[in-house]
Amino acid sequence: MKRQTKLTSQEQQLHQSAAQQQLQQTAACEFATAEEMLRHDALHTPVPPAIAHRLKQSIGPMPAPPRPWWRRLFE
Amino acid sequence: MNALVNKPPAQPQRSGEPRTELTVPEPALTEAPDSGLASSEFAEIYSQHSRAIYYLALRFLSDPAKAEDATHDVFLKAFRKMDQFRGESSWRTWLYRIAINHCRNLQQAWHDRHMFTNADDAVWENAAARTDSPLRVLETKELGQRIQKALDGLPAEYRLLLLLVADEQLSYDQVGALTEQSSDAVRGKLHRARKAFAVLFEKTA
Repeated sequence: MKRQTKLTSQEQQLHQSAAQQQLQQTAACEFATAEEMLRHDALHTPVPPAIAHRLKQSIGPMPAPPRPWWRRLFE
Repeated sequence: MNALVNKPPAQPQRSGEPRTELTVPEPALTEAPDSGLASSEFAEIYSQHSRAIYYLALRFLSDPAKAEDATHDVFLKAFRKMDQFRGESSWRTWLYRIAINHCRNLQQAWHDRHMFTNADDAVWENAAARTDSPLRVLETKELGQRIQKALDGLPAEYRLLLLLVADEQLSYDQVGALTEQSSDAVRGKLHRARKAFAVLFEKTA
């Protein structure tokens, strides 16, 4: 029983250590260039849903956009 | 669905640079599935490019509320002018052009209107930051704020250049066309912009 407790304790330490290490790995980042950092930032910057909602309201009463002439040509 | 939307024009690859996928699935206009916008070709365009346009506006204008307004206005303008899109460029490039003009119009302040000077260049050249070293951050939680601070310290020209070059869908030629200069000039200025950014970013730590 005692051994069981000890093992559990070791396992807990291992788990904690692994979790901490994983946290550090995800928190720390290295970027070769400014652009790489900006790409990362862009991927983690969500577009506010309010924009789509506002656009829908703005566009709603408007007629469908005319198709470009060069596309009408091939239709 | 239109072929142009489903198959955007092939983007030239920048030589000597590894390509990684920039685009991620973007939020679709699904709030009201029965709305005209949700099912339209325009919704596809919005879905594919809104993140890039919003990010450019956000980091260029340094104000989330203004960026939101600008993104709305850019897409509204694009909607109204869709018949003027000639297909000579990609939708992304066309939208960027509208966005850049719009953001520049919003930025009327004197310092935003001025180009980089040689004196400013000297500041970056003499700075201690080593641009050949990777940029390290221990905490990504506040990365956006640090990036914004660094970008805010850059001349508008460098800020725009970095933001456009960061979009891997754009070639140097396309960045040059958008910023009205040659691709060689883009490369040259990019070097200085990177260095300036690194210097400023270090200071945000």
